[in-house]
Amino acid sequence: MRKNTRFPRQNNFIVVLMNLTVFILLIVMTIIGLILSPPTFFILKIFGRYETLRISRLIVWIYGRGWLAIIKPFTRFQSQGLRKGYITPPCIIVPNHLSFFDTFFMGALPFSDVCFAVRSWPFKMAWYRPFMELGRYLDVEGASWEESFEACKKEIQRGGALLIFPEAHRSRDGKLGRFYSGAFKVSVATGAPVIPLCITGTGNMCPPGQKLLRPAKVRLAALPPVYPADFPGPLGHMEMRKAVKALMAEKLNEMGAYRPI
Amino acid sequence: MKMTNEEIIQIINNSLIKEFELDNKKMVPEANLYDDLELDSLDRVDMVIVLENAFKFKIREEKEIRDIRTLGDIHNFVINKIRDIEKVS
Repeated sequence: MRKNTRFPRQNNFIVVLMNLTVFILLIVMTIIGLILSPPTFFILKIFGRYETLRISRLIVWIYGRGWLAIIKPFTRFQSQGLRKGYITPPCIIVPNHLSFFDTFFMGALPFSDVCFAVRSWPFKMAWYRPFMELGRYLDVEGASWEESFEACKKEIQRGGALLIFPEAHRSRDGKLGRFYSGAFKVSVATGAPVIPLCITGTGNMCPPGQKLLRPAKVRLAALPPVYPADFPGPLGHMEMRKAVKALMAEKLNEMGAYRPI
Repeated sequence: MKMTNEEIIQIINNSLIKEFELDNKKMVPEANLYDDLELDSLDRVDMVIVLENAFKFKIREEKEIRDIRTLGDIHNFVINKIRDIEKVS
């Protein structure tokens, strides 16, 4: 039988405790969120004159903060550069992708006005879908490139932040996969900088194909903004894509992403 | 000097591998651009510019580009285009 070398040997009791605790609290948090969201929408809409999409994104961000609190006893979480002033909208955040739970960790971002451009399957989760639709998140798989491109440009023009996983898929081996050019094309078209966001550890916590969570050390590191003006020409977005990928690969290496556990 | 078909194919494959991070093992003529090489519609637009830069010709207005489905279609399209240019010059 092949030995699983991806995970370190861990105390089964801790793994069971983590899964029971985290999933129960996650369900409780989701139910409470579903109950409290309508009055929150009403209050912020009437008294705060918030846009519907801002309220929805704020709720999603608070949910992410809740996630960080829930997993805290089982996860050593560190972040770098995730502070106001270092990352400022409008911008395009491009994280590497290791796990379903990567998006949950976006609660660590310093602001809530973030539009997630994702594939179709998260929209199929009935309990998340209303928030994703009210938050005008983008289903890039279900739309044509031209439609997604226009929607991304509008999002940047209204001053928000976009979050696009340039690999499109979760990495199966922890290594950076092929980067697609869409995020960089939007950057070149709008002038908004790209913020490379390096994630390590979520692939150890819950990699693709696994259902059980495992204790892990999760790190998020935002790199300095990369500006499209530095990549002129008709294929500037492709040069930008390569440059950003190289920066992320170097940082991930420094963070120990490719070291055997 | 006139390029051979093999040389043209080599330039096409190398350009696409370099610009789109494609896997050399998947670069077979029957490879579908979407299903096998996993190129998206934006890549398709960029691919035209990559080929224009590699061969110093203009093809973005050509209608036949819309019918390209496989890597072999690209090979044939570029080879035919180059042979047409050679005839004229």
